[in-house]
Amino acid sequence: MIRFKAVGVRFGATEALADVSVTVETGVLCALVGPSGSGKSTLMRLVNRLIAPSSGQVLVRGADVMAQPAPALRRSIGYVMQSIGLFPHRSVAENIATVPRLLGWPAPRRKARVAELLALVQLDPGLATRRPAALSGGQAQRVGLARALAADPDILLMDEPFGAVDPLTRRDLRAELRRIHAETGKTILLVTHDPEEALELASQIVVLRHGRVVADGAPAALVGSTAPAFARALLGGEQPGLRRLSLVPAREALAAAPAPEGAPRLAAGASLADALSRMAETGAAVLALEGEAGSLRLAAILERGR
Amino acid sequence: MGAVEAGRACLALLALAGLAAPWLSVAPNRLLPGTPVMGLAALGAMGGLAALALLAAVPRRVPAGLAALLALAGVALLLAATGQAAAVAMADLAPAARAGLGAGFWLSLVAGISLFAARAAALPTLGQAGLVLAGVLLLALLWRAGVFEALSLLVEYRAREDAVQAALLRHLALSGAALALALLIALPLAWAGFLRPGTAGAVGAALGAVQVVPAIALFAILIPLLAALLAALPALRGFGLGAIGPAPAVLATALYLALPLWRAVLGGLTAADPAAVAAAQAMGMGEGRITLEVRLPLALPVFAGGLRLAVVQAIGLMTLGGLVGAGGLGTLVFQGLAQFATDLMLLGALPVIVLALLADAATRGLEHALGRGA
Repeated sequence: MIRFKAVGVRFGATEALADVSVTVETGVLCALVGPSGSGKSTLMRLVNRLIAPSSGQVLVRGADVMAQPAPALRRSIGYVMQSIGLFPHRSVAENIATVPRLLGWPAPRRKARVAELLALVQLDPGLATRRPAALSGGQAQRVGLARALAADPDILLMDEPFGAVDPLTRRDLRAELRRIHAETGKTILLVTHDPEEALELASQIVVLRHGRVVADGAPAALVGSTAPAFARALLGGEQPGLRRLSLVPAREALAAAPAPEGAPRLAAGASLADALSRMAETGAAVLALEGEAGSLRLAAILERGR
Repeated sequence: MGAVEAGRACLALLALAGLAAPWLSVAPNRLLPGTPVMGLAALGAMGGLAALALLAAVPRRVPAGLAALLALAGVALLLAATGQAAAVAMADLAPAARAGLGAGFWLSLVAGISLFAARAAALPTLGQAGLVLAGVLLLALLWRAGVFEALSLLVEYRAREDAVQAALLRHLALSGAALALALLIALPLAWAGFLRPGTAGAVGAALGAVQVVPAIALFAILIPLLAALLAALPALRGFGLGAIGPAPAVLATALYLALPLWRAVLGGLTAADPAAVAAAQAMGMGEGRITLEVRLPLALPVFAGGLRLAVVQAIGLMTLGGLVGAGGLGTLVFQGLAQFATDLMLLGALPVIVLALLADAATRGLEHALGRGA
């Protein structure tokens, strides 16, 4: 668990963060979003003491970060950044094994861990002996992710990790991250300026503006009509209603009344946006849901779009 | 004919032109001017053969390896024929007579070696090393066979064999000392400049100002400065410090070397990718570890480049040490200048050139090896 308690950060005369209180529960993937200069990176860098709070407290696993030695704290937290920062004079394997080496793991254990991680981020084991200069942008970012996960930290900090790769690779890497999060259950703090990325990956979103928290909640809640206007505009884009529907599972609008015979059937994991799309395609105002007895009705869907 | 081929043809023509110029100079003794003997007249058939070998190394049709070998053979033939011609010229003259090397010889030699280098450059490193080794062996063989003994340069060398060898060793020792002192000055300054970038400007200006002072002037001005220092602190004499001798030579050379070394170390330290340094920090490396594991390894290739420049400069500049009584190969050069004895000058100058070339090749290799590691 990561907890910011009334945290403020000043750089000289500028106030980067003011009175920020946020709690990120264990196992949650929390996205920090906001325009540039909103303080989202600063907030993340407080967690591993790359920045010290000027006021307030940052608790990681229940303990104040300022009361812990910085090297030990940083070695226990994975860190991925946009510029990756692989060591150009070390092989991919050596890069990945950096933190385990700092922690004094014996060589055989490091070697086994590198092999495991290359498999986890779906990289060819043959790349292990290569230098970073021989990697493509996407491969380098995967190595960066593997390096951050090397010592199996329970917390992962990601600072715009997919900002510098092409859109196709970015989509792959996002899917990868979602899979890794689901498999490992780590607490992940993700800084991004891409609202779609935040909505797609996060189970909690914190919206920052001018160093203050504007909104903090589940993605669907932040694009709903009750969300603060700034958050809704930032995350919802041109079609906040559709965005919200895409975040709500179809099951939530299910009515007890059974669907009529021959009504189109929707897959079990579908969202309300999927349901709406199917209605638009078929002209049917009532749908059945795979594995459920009730029915989905247009009015119920529209009600949840707000 | 391509531009590269035309360049090679020019080199071969220069070598031929040398053969038509004064090749040997036969004089009654080491100081009097001699009568010139033209290349073709002196060398005869062997000279013609050498010219053919050099010409054959020009065309593109001839593979680089074979061409380099041909050029090497041409140069070796020129050397052997020159030695023999000198022996013939000296045969019925008085023992004091000398056979000096003329402008034609040097022109052909430099052109021939350049042609060899131009063809060898296209070969893989292993082939180049093999060819250089073959050249050195060939030269040693000619030397051992006594082919050069009749040449004035060799006579001069035989007369001062011990002095030349001592001067060579002293030159190396003095250059090494200057390099060590320069490192002692440059490393802390570079480190300080890295920690406080504000100081870099002032240090750079100070070290740069030294470069503006002509080398001879710097060597000379250090003598009265050191004399004044020793007058104020006579205890320093106890450490072997003197106003003339090695002290001003080492000090002046070190001052010159400080700038390239300082620049290379500072440049190397700041060359590390900021992202890599940031990543190292975020992964829990301390400042010391970051320097040791990230900054230094990334700095080494840059540093090796500066070191190469400094080593070559040290060997060259130390020649001026002969002027301030430091000894070394410069002493021979300046003695030769004072006596108008060309061969004596060459006895000092040729080893300096060879040393500088060897040092350059060795440090270049180091730079290359480190560059590959980064």
